[in-house]
Amino acid sequence: MYIIGIDVGGTHTDAALLQGTQVVALAKVPTDHGDLFSSTRQALEDILVQYPGDGPLKLQLSTTLSTNAIVEGRGVPTQVVAVPGPGVNLDSLRFPFPVHKLSGYIDHRGREAAPLDPVELNGLRDVLGSGEGEAAAVVGKFSQRNPSHEQVIGAELEKWYRGTISLGHRLSGRANFPRRITTAYLNASVAQQQLGFVKMWKDVLGKLNIPLEDVLILKADGGTMALQESALKPIETILSGPAASTMGVQALTSREDANYLIVDIGGTTTDLAVVVEGEVLYERDGAVISGYRTLVPAVLTRSLGLGGDSELHFSPDGIRVGPRRAGKPVCLGGEGLTPTDAVTALELAQVGSRSQAVQALEDQARQLGVDWPELAERIIQAFTAQLARAVEDLYRELESIPLYTVREVLNPPDLRPTAVVGLGAPAPVFIPKLAQFLNLPYEVLPFSAGANAIGAAAAQATLGLTLHADTELARITLPELGRQEEIRRPLFFDLAKARSRVEEELKELAQAQGYQDAEIYVVEEESFNMVRGFRTVGQRHMVRAQLRPQVRRVRG
Amino acid sequence: MAQEPVVGLVFFPAFDWAISPDHPERQERLLYTRDQIQEEGLFDHPRIREFRPRLAEDREILRTHVVLPSLERNITESHRIAAGGTIVAADLVVDGTVDRAFALLRPPGHHANRFVHGARGFCVLNNEAIMVDHLRHRLGADLRVAIVDTDAHHADGTQDVFYNDPGVLHISLHQDGRTLYPGTGFTFERGGPGAFGQTVNIPLPPGTGDEGMLMALEEVVLPILEDWRPDLVINAAGQDNHFSDPITNMGFSAQGYAKLTDLLQPDIVVLEGGYSIESALPYINVGLLLALAGLDYSQVEEPGGLRRPIQSRAITKQVEETCREVLQLWKTREQADLKSEFGPGPFYERRRQIYYDTDNIYESQQEYIRLCPSCPGWRVVYTTSTRNQEPVAALLLPWQPCASCRGEAEEQREKLQGDKRLTQIIWQEPA
Ligand SMILES: [Zn+2]
Ligand SMILES: [Zn+2]
Repeated sequence: MYIIGIDVGGTHTDAALLQGTQVVALAKVPTDHGDLFSSTRQALEDILVQYPGDGPLKLQLSTTLSTNAIVEGRGVPTQVVAVPGPGVNLDSLRFPFPVHKLSGYIDHRGREAAPLDPVELNGLRDVLGSGEGEAAAVVGKFSQRNPSHEQVIGAELEKWYRGTISLGHRLSGRANFPRRITTAYLNASVAQQQLGFVKMWKDVLGKLNIPLEDVLILKADGGTMALQESALKPIETILSGPAASTMGVQALTSREDANYLIVDIGGTTTDLAVVVEGEVLYERDGAVISGYRTLVPAVLTRSLGLGGDSELHFSPDGIRVGPRRAGKPVCLGGEGLTPTDAVTALELAQVGSRSQAVQALEDQARQLGVDWPELAERIIQAFTAQLARAVEDLYRELESIPLYTVREVLNPPDLRPTAVVGLGAPAPVFIPKLAQFLNLPYEVLPFSAGANAIGAAAAQATLGLTLHADTELARITLPELGRQEEIRRPLFFDLAKARSRVEEELKELAQAQGYQDAEIYVVEEESFNMVRGFRTVGQRHMVRAQLRPQVRRVRG
Repeated sequence: MAQEPVVGLVFFPAFDWAISPDHPERQERLLYTRDQIQEEGLFDHPRIREFRPRLAEDREILRTHVVLPSLERNITESHRIAAGGTIVAADLVVDGTVDRAFALLRPPGHHANRFVHGARGFCVLNNEAIMVDHLRHRLGADLRVAIVDTDAHHADGTQDVFYNDPGVLHISLHQDGRTLYPGTGFTFERGGPGAFGQTVNIPLPPGTGDEGMLMALEEVVLPILEDWRPDLVINAAGQDNHFSDPITNMGFSAQGYAKLTDLLQPDIVVLEGGYSIESALPYINVGLLLALAGLDYSQVEEPGGLRRPIQSRAITKQVEETCREVLQLWKTREQADLKSEFGPGPFYERRRQIYYDTDNIYESQQEYIRLCPSCPGWRVVYTTSTRNQEPVAALLLPWQPCASCRGEAEEQREKLQGDKRLTQIIWQEPA
């Protein structure tokens, strides 16, 4: 089996061809921001030259289409229909898009506490308009516990609304009404564009005349989804670039540590990610993109304004690096001194003209009254120290994540790394120094340039499902499937039954999407006895299962 | 107070701990509150920051309590986490990390006295009291702290801990003790000789609703606070005064609670009781958090057909009368004749029987307080209980004792050491 991974980056679009666990070829073309499709296609054609054609092929794409549309505010005009009920005043949240409120309320157990108002429902036509070239998101509070209000409104819109419709419960089974509103809003706003993208690729692939088995799209959680599925949930494709990079690291590292730190040092930024017990950590609630807080499962990354081309600030207190980019380093013809110049001058790496770097360092060193090699050392020191502080801050933040049981407080999870794995052009210089600072072993990865594309190729499917069961109400809800069912024998529906039920559903869903042999496991579960008046009246279970996130281990 | 206050939330629902499976203090108690806060997006709000609790250390607990026969025999880790989490909340405010803090945690503490033989009213350790002593340990004994306890039950434990402590003003608003556990909290309970008048009880008739609670707050509590000028205001926020609570008879609502919080502007809020876990707690806690953070709470209400009863005229009149009486007692507290209250001295003697409902224990206490003109006075307490039948004596020094009180207490200790009947002699000196 061959896999092509393509990652559309800010400056370059990278492609990697894997055969099994072997990197066969890499390719690179400049990204054309005016026409992402054509540069992506170019990268594909370049790498296809290296494809010997002696086995089936799979294509895995990390695109920036939805990310860019959101960041640049280019989604279609989108309105939200919300069913907030009592609680936080939605107006006070100041969403930067129109939100129309309907009466009705689903409570925390998923019971209808107040019905929808048919008159208001009828009035939606006047409020939303025909929907031509537009989109609408429908989101109710606690719709993950009972999607019926969203479904009724959705069905009403289906009758006459001509734009795209996104329903909140289909996008996430997790709690957080404001984030669900934002997620559904963004999803609706880019859905039309993603549909066009899917059609375009189907066209192109039909003409390529290669034995293409499958096209998969990379998601923010570092997993893949089917091309067709991405038209329904385009919001899951955001921020797949940073996710691809962490997947690349997991694919390429030779370290066997359960916990390690990923440090991707670039020209403008350094990105941190954290692996715990062999899996990369996710954001607690979901991805944040361009100030929008969503429920999209996403690899946790922290981006620091610290890179090879960062500005340097000199003061009596010492040297501060970043957070802004200085432009090109002096050794490459730029104006302002950068960490890259210090590295070049000390001959720790060869970038551009060393003499220009030395000259610029000498000028600055004279003002500070030190030798230039001393200054260069100090710059590298300052960079390393800032990076180490940011690493410490990140772990401290992760270690302050609240714990809700006595067991966890007595035995908090161990997140601390036992190794540092680095990549990026400046990594060979800074990673050893950072590792020394943190007193940890390290590894610097090869293929710094192509790691994202390798990550895109090495990623495997992720898919998750949530099940809420309330045995007193005798009801099961599977929000992502939009299904509710009665529990026939509630007395016997225990946590084990809930668990096997969601596993079966997920298995079926995975098979329908073509993932035959994926391993399913429970990521989160809770179960409570419900007692009323000193009598147990039922149990409440929540189980979330997913395909185990996996990465193909790759050799260079 | 900052225009846009940031609230530190120490949420610890103890999802794996219960007094017993069917007890009101069970795993499920804060489940629906968690669900509601999560769904409202408040854990995620930029003005609300969540923090992890920690275990309280022995010395932090023993600065406040005398625990018999030992700490380990009485408490579980969850008690340490609730007390430690409350300390975390206070430290967040004192450190300036946040503007206000809410310790939304269990098990509660306000029925726990200074002496602990077991659990009373579901409480073993008094979370607020441990926190207040921790704050004085950090910031100095001069700190003036006001505790306003709004739980439906009289905060008899907190009252007991600070009964003779001039650094603390303790105000308890509760359902009249003639109609509810623990049967105390009358207006004539006004504190010991060292802090007379600083125990303020506002008993409210069953059926008191938002109007009555807010009236007592505005007419009595706020003027008293204005008068006493505390450095910190703590709200012991029991939520069992809600109209849907199964074990009380009050008529308070979520909207009323949010308004109360907004008026009181507490620095630190600590959860106490509240057992209407589905119909009240989720909404009260959302309203309380919003009010603390200075956010819009106008839309917070109990959903679907749950309507609070209207407070009757008769009740309003009764509340008005109590308010007048309490305010009058407050204004005249300095003119009170302490000799007629506590006798001519040199000691005031008090004998008490204390019932521990949760663990079914009876305690007998005999207490002697030195009436001292220059400090609140040292104390000696003899205690036995049906659980700890061998008598124990404790010598209690106040914060900032005078030299002669310290000397006398030390002499007394030596005397007691010769007394073969005593199994333990405890020396408690807060610092
Ligand atoms: Zn209570
Ligand atoms: Zn004295």
